[in-house]
Amino acid sequence: MNDSINHGPFRHDHYDVVIVGAALAGCATAKAMAMADPEQRRRILVIDRCVGVHPRFSGEFIHPRGAAALEELGFYDALSAAGAIDVDGFAVFENADARHVDLAYANVPNQRPRGLSVHHKVLVQVQRQVVADSHVELVEGWAVRELVRGERGEVRGVVVDTRDGHKARLTADLVVGADGKASTVRKLAGITDEGRRTIGFTAGVEVHDASLPRPTYAHVFLGGWGPVLAYPILKRDGRVSTRVTFDLPVDLPAKGARLREHIMRTYLPFVPSPLAAEIAAALAAGKGPLEMAPTVELPAPSAVAPGLALVGDAGGCSHPITASGMTMGLLDATTLGREARRRAHVPAGQAWLDAASLRRYRVEHDRYVPTRQVLAAAIYEAFRGGQAGERAIRRALFDYWESGPVARSRSMSLLSCAEDRASVFLTEYLKAAGHALGTSLVPRHASYFPVTDRLRRARGAASMAQGKLGLVAQVMWAQLRPSWLPHASARL
Amino acid sequence: MFDRNEGAAPRETAPRNTGDPSAVTTPDAPRLVELVERTRRLASDWRTRALHPQTVDQPWLLHVPDVGPACEVVLADRLLHDLRPDEREGLMAWIRGSQDASGAWLSADGEPNLSLTTLGWWACLVAGDDPSSEAMVRARRVVHALGGAQRTDFHVRLWLAMGGQIPWSWLPAIPAEMFLLPPSVPLSPANYSPWARGMLTPYLLIARAPARLQLPDASPLLLERIAGTPVSPRLTRAGLAGDLLQAFDRTVKLSRKLPRGPLPRIASGRAEAWVTAAQQANGGWFSVRPTLLSLIALRVAGATSDDPRLRRGLDYLRASRGLARIVHGRDAGKVVLAQALGPTPLRATARLMAAAPEDGDVPWLLRQEIAERGPWQHRADADAGGWPLSVGARQHLDLEATCAVVDVLDRVDPSSSQVSPAWATTRRATDVILAMQEPDGHFSRFERGESEVFMRRFPWTDADLLALGNGLDDDHLRLSARALARLSAIGFRSDDDRVAKGLRWIRARVGEARRAGDLATMPMSTLSALAECAGAHTRGDDALRGDVEDALRRRQRESGDYGGVVDTALALQAFVGLGETCVQARRAAQALAKAFAPGDRDLPGLSQSVSTGFGLSPTGLDPSAGVRESAIALRAFAAAGGRLESNG
Repeated sequence: MNDSINHGPFRHDHYDVVIVGAALAGCATAKAMAMADPEQRRRILVIDRCVGVHPRFSGEFIHPRGAAALEELGFYDALSAAGAIDVDGFAVFENADARHVDLAYANVPNQRPRGLSVHHKVLVQVQRQVVADSHVELVEGWAVRELVRGERGEVRGVVVDTRDGHKARLTADLVVGADGKASTVRKLAGITDEGRRTIGFTAGVEVHDASLPRPTYAHVFLGGWGPVLAYPILKRDGRVSTRVTFDLPVDLPAKGARLREHIMRTYLPFVPSPLAAEIAAALAAGKGPLEMAPTVELPAPSAVAPGLALVGDAGGCSHPITASGMTMGLLDATTLGREARRRAHVPAGQAWLDAASLRRYRVEHDRYVPTRQVLAAAIYEAFRGGQAGERAIRRALFDYWESGPVARSRSMSLLSCAEDRASVFLTEYLKAAGHALGTSLVPRHASYFPVTDRLRRARGAASMAQGKLGLVAQVMWAQLRPSWLPHASARL
Repeated sequence: MFDRNEGAAPRETAPRNTGDPSAVTTPDAPRLVELVERTRRLASDWRTRALHPQTVDQPWLLHVPDVGPACEVVLADRLLHDLRPDEREGLMAWIRGSQDASGAWLSADGEPNLSLTTLGWWACLVAGDDPSSEAMVRARRVVHALGGAQRTDFHVRLWLAMGGQIPWSWLPAIPAEMFLLPPSVPLSPANYSPWARGMLTPYLLIARAPARLQLPDASPLLLERIAGTPVSPRLTRAGLAGDLLQAFDRTVKLSRKLPRGPLPRIASGRAEAWVTAAQQANGGWFSVRPTLLSLIALRVAGATSDDPRLRRGLDYLRASRGLARIVHGRDAGKVVLAQALGPTPLRATARLMAAAPEDGDVPWLLRQEIAERGPWQHRADADAGGWPLSVGARQHLDLEATCAVVDVLDRVDPSSSQVSPAWATTRRATDVILAMQEPDGHFSRFERGESEVFMRRFPWTDADLLALGNGLDDDHLRLSARALARLSAIGFRSDDDRVAKGLRWIRARVGEARRAGDLATMPMSTLSALAECAGAHTRGDDALRGDVEDALRRRQRESGDYGGVVDTALALQAFVGLGETCVQARRAAQALAKAFAPGDRDLPGLSQSVSTGFGLSPTGLDPSAGVRESAIALRAFAAAGGRLESNG
């Protein structure tokens, strides 16, 4: 062990910004900051505890707003060249035998018509390469052990080390935590993650040249215990790789090799053929445990503290069903970049992002993150359909989406993070609730469905809609909240 | 003679069983492998007998009822003229050979039965037997001792009325206007059980004509007063409500003599249209009894013998005949031609396929899936799917058969070309199972609301015809447990409100049974299904699991068996369903090994009685149960790592 503190591979002992985590949000933030400093007066450091790409399976689907951010930050072309795939939206299957609903990005006005999907490892490799090509300093294999505090308790830097015991103390005007849902920086900063809970697991398998019914869409197959997602992630040498993910309960019903068999028996019957058989073959061909990641629900914690900002999943995450996590991370990056640009003129001796900048970042962050979380939770519950009310909402959603392109467009604008007006959120909520009540009363197949059954369904739908009122109010408040109003937990 | 238990047995929940006994790797593997293979071969023999008519002269029946259907076919042939001489002789051998030495015809559980004895005596008379012969005289005495033919069930009295032996007023009046009621009205026939609709609709047409069949005199079976007038039956139960209903019945009959406008004619037209529309793809109307009455109703309505509806119906009756071993009576043990309730029953077929799989099973099962709308969808909100009671009954869902078939499809290899259609049918079947859940959490077998028929609240003596059980009976408990276990196999857990509700219902029933001490006498098939359900949905210290396991362990005899081969096999399945390959499971397996010692090829004593029937349909036997359930149990036991010998 080497306990002495030195500079290690770092070029400086003081940086304007130290970004912890060199995955999507960290790299995007680094690049956004670098672009905000065209004269290259600032020192920007990105560190990551993993040499190379983190082995854990992670997000890969990016909405148009996120894709636009990637384009703006200069990643898009490199990603396309590396095999990323332009995607057109979501194809949602209520069940494998039913007609599916296309929720196309192209129908959403005033946004880029296509999103981007890319294999996570390729994404991170390309991003790191792009970041390394700018004036950002990227160091891998170093993990944060503690935060350097100033006199008033503000964050003034980080102490990092390597696995073999090398240690370094780095000071910074701003530390950015981009280290994911289990953020070490967040913990060290003492920012509460109250309400954080693991709600399940996502298992993934890669299928080559899968027969996706809509080749450039993300597919959502419902009917099993949890939704099955399938989307293309990489195109190379004329072959397309598709990621298929399975939403598993938190108390896994099977482990190890038996998990593959469990998925085959309980999820694949709800996937249309021939895709189901192709997935089965991929599962059967795989050896060892499946790629897995916990599904975490983290109600947005305070995204800033003096000298510290959290971006991406470190600043709140939800179920991946709406695939909005990466887009949120990119929005965080561009928001911080905007604040950095705003203070690009500040002399080098002064902090690049001051307290006001971080306050503005937090206000912006708090406007879209809770909306996304509420939407993801509601959509996930409805798609799971574990309760009568949730099934009523699910059916109502499909009826609503099938009612016309305007309905699909409005829903998609919310789901793809293109819409953040409170009024749209509220009207969509009311429409879904109204449809749920209406469709609960009308059976699909039964000719003389008993009135008591109809009322029971309607009661379930009403109860679910009622149960979500608090969350709707929370979202509305997040949208309408005056930016000058201090947060209860604010220390800025 | 046979095990007095019911037929459902659970799917094994142990690690997926490939059917390859060589996969067994326990220390005494050779012996267990040999036993698994032997029972599989025996089950395969049964398959050949029952499902491969090209390899045998006449297929064997997988469900053997009492002589009732055979008697009715013989009686109806006076009008339908379809039986070939060999068929008539075969059926008469079945009827005559099943007569007990006492003169009675016994129900499947061995009790003298008034209705069966009346029908048996009359069928023999139709066939030309001398009424003064010893056997006929004894039968007549039994009928008299049991209260006379006027006390028989509704359907036998209907035959007596059609034969002109009793007045039509001895049957309950059904106002024709009821057939004009919308289905949402509780009194509407749409709310009756499918077999009740299948019998009462043609009954309306037959009674309205009224029909008269040329049958020999059965009046010696009626008890008479001293004055020589027959004692009229009571149509309602005793008590004030029954008296009022009897008075109402008379009023309805009297009102028929008054002008009632066009309503009766319109109602009859609707009933006739229903009879035509309700004929299944296999030519029948739910089962043999409704089919016979519908054919008679069509003849009454003017259909000629070359009418395709009649022809198809008669073919259905023929397809429902097969060989069976006489269980009771003077020719017990003899194999003769019998009349079943319908063609090949799918539940027993699927279980045989699970016991002895063959290549063509899956495509055959897929072809039997219900693909058209049926009356079960009136109150169940699911698209067409699931499987019917018997082959070709495309409108009548049977949840028991559906669970059994999906169990077989669950074993399809994911790399097989059959997997996609198998998964598609499984999806539809899952929706159907869920849609058949009642508000209190239990599952219905044929139609939702089948045990809650409003008309059954009236004190008719024949009211049970209208419904299936009472919703709290063993049949529904077993079915609900099987449905929940099936849902677990497709990934549903107790975090789904439907599963949670079903489990609550089952816990309540099992709790009541425990408090009443009924777990000790609960049919092993029900206990086995409960074990499978508890194994799938509960963990170690759960009360439901504890109750079921406790009952299972307490009932084992010193010899390791459970009183019969079928019960022992079901108990072994229950142990495996609970994840147990303990010493008691091993002793049950050893008992089966003893029962299937080499040399016993035919195993005539391994059948079991099946459920109490649907409405007036009789209780029947499931002759392949012993072999096939043993094969399934032993294979599951082996796949779960069970052993026949202890370590010591």
